[in-house]
Amino acid sequence: MRNKVLMGLSIIAMVAVLSGCGKKPQVKIDAANAAIEAAKTAEAPVYLPDEFAAVQDSMNAVMAEVTTQQSKLFKNFGPAKIKLDSALTQANKVAADAVVKKVEVQKEVETLITEIKTVIEENKSLMTKAPRGKEGAAVLEQIKSEMTTIEGSVAEAKVMFDNGSFMEALNKVKAGKERADSINAELKEAIAKVKARR
Amino acid sequence: MKKVNRLLLYIVVFTGSLPLAILLLIFLTPVPPTGEMEHARKTISIAGRGRADTYSNKLYAEAQIYYDSAMGNWQNENNRFIYFRNFEKVALFAELSTKKASQAAENAVSNSSNLKMKLIQKIDSLNNLISGVNKLFYTYPLTSEIRERISRGKLFLKEAEIAYQEGQYLEANIKISDSELLLMEGYSYVNENLKEYFQSYPVWKSWIDKTISDSKKNRDYSIIVDKFSRKCFIYLNGIKQYEFEADLGLNWVGDKKVRGDMATPEGMYKITKKIEGSNTRYYKSLLLNYPNDEDKMKFQNEVISGSLLPNAIIGSLIEIHGSGGIGIDWTQGCVALTNNEMDVVFKIAKVGTPVTIVGSMTDLQYVVTK
Repeated sequence: MRNKVLMGLSIIAMVAVLSGCGKKPQVKIDAANAAIEAAKTAEAPVYLPDEFAAVQDSMNAVMAEVTTQQSKLFKNFGPAKIKLDSALTQANKVAADAVVKKVEVQKEVETLITEIKTVIEENKSLMTKAPRGKEGAAVLEQIKSEMTTIEGSVAEAKVMFDNGSFMEALNKVKAGKERADSINAELKEAIAKVKARR
Repeated sequence: MKKVNRLLLYIVVFTGSLPLAILLLIFLTPVPPTGEMEHARKTISIAGRGRADTYSNKLYAEAQIYYDSAMGNWQNENNRFIYFRNFEKVALFAELSTKKASQAAENAVSNSSNLKMKLIQKIDSLNNLISGVNKLFYTYPLTSEIRERISRGKLFLKEAEIAYQEGQYLEANIKISDSELLLMEGYSYVNENLKEYFQSYPVWKSWIDKTISDSKKNRDYSIIVDKFSRKCFIYLNGIKQYEFEADLGLNWVGDKKVRGDMATPEGMYKITKKIEGSNTRYYKSLLLNYPNDEDKMKFQNEVISGSLLPNAIIGSLIEIHGSGGIGIDWTQGCVALTNNEMDVVFKIAKVGTPVTIVGSMTDLQYVVTK
């Protein structure tokens, strides 16, 4: 009688243990997926594309592990649970880092827009002092046209910036700044040459 | 005793056969293709790091679809009773996914490399075009629309260069195309206009040759104005003596047609009057006999043909005068020199001195190459 009771208790214990290990960690899967979605919302694919890709890759690996265990007779989701915790941490970090990176890019664009406006004003002032020799006048006409185009481009970048498309705006303002700086150098060189001749 | 023996027998049979039964159960469980799935996942990951999603997006997307199908199929099979599961399709999809991802990775390397080479060449070629265009455009009267196109073309090129430096080759390619379109529009505009303008070169050449020949024959001074190079040449006995910079009419390209068109006329003229002091507001002036007979005939023909309005008035009072040297084309059609240079010309010129004004003393090929 005592042996039958012991055997019965052992079987129940065994089933309980196997059942505990054998349950798909759906709550942890949902939490990790939610964290990845949050990273997407934070625009991690735009600002930290490689890191975001790594998170997705980790999640794919975990899901493969979970599905593997589901195929087994005696399931053990222990290692998968640890990996899910890691994926969740990773996704949360990428989301937080993306927010930081976005703010950095935003500040960079703001700074560049301010700097371009300063250079444009300086160029306008330099143009009044630039030499108007044979080719000088025609060059100044072209420079005037380019400055107008740069101002237009800055305005477009500002619209992108106001819409939150900071990466798009960044390339545009970088190009505008380089052109404006190049014109600035050209004008200063021309003025310096004239001064040297005098 | 018998009871004990029977109990012992049960225990032995049970403990002996249970592990065997468990082993048999495990052995007969269908095995999913975990190795193939792992391989597919890793191959997709490698392709992604190689930017196959950008440079081989079709194949990469197909690889993803096959992988997702494999996972979906695998999960469906897991829902079936364990011994009825069949993972053949899962293995097949995994294999297809690996194959596509591998092709995508290879293609991405090749495509991005080719695109990078193409971009380098395009950027160089457009920078050369801008350099060439700058030289040509310095003296050519461009419309504000053409100037704007050239400016935007230059800015797009800069945006393309920045995108290229960031490794954004697709974005750079788009900007390059936009830049090329705008710059070529400007370049083509000037090119076509110049070709049309220089169709008159043979006529100009004949005037120049005659003017220099007459200067030699008459052992006297002749004046030639080359509009394209903005030069005023003084010849004596057929040999060039002086070369001066000249400012021209605002609309210098082409022949003068009507009063107020701001064009400097083209033709063979003579000085009819020398003016100085309070009689001119341009320091010193040499009045030309524009319009000559040829100009008058041309004007009449154009009015008759309807090229000019019936109430159009032919221009006049074209001079070589001082107050020039500003460096831009500002006159209403006259040829303006600096006052110092005007002193030289005024001294050697007399009533009857030939003045020939041409579009260019050199042909278009030379002008463009120079």
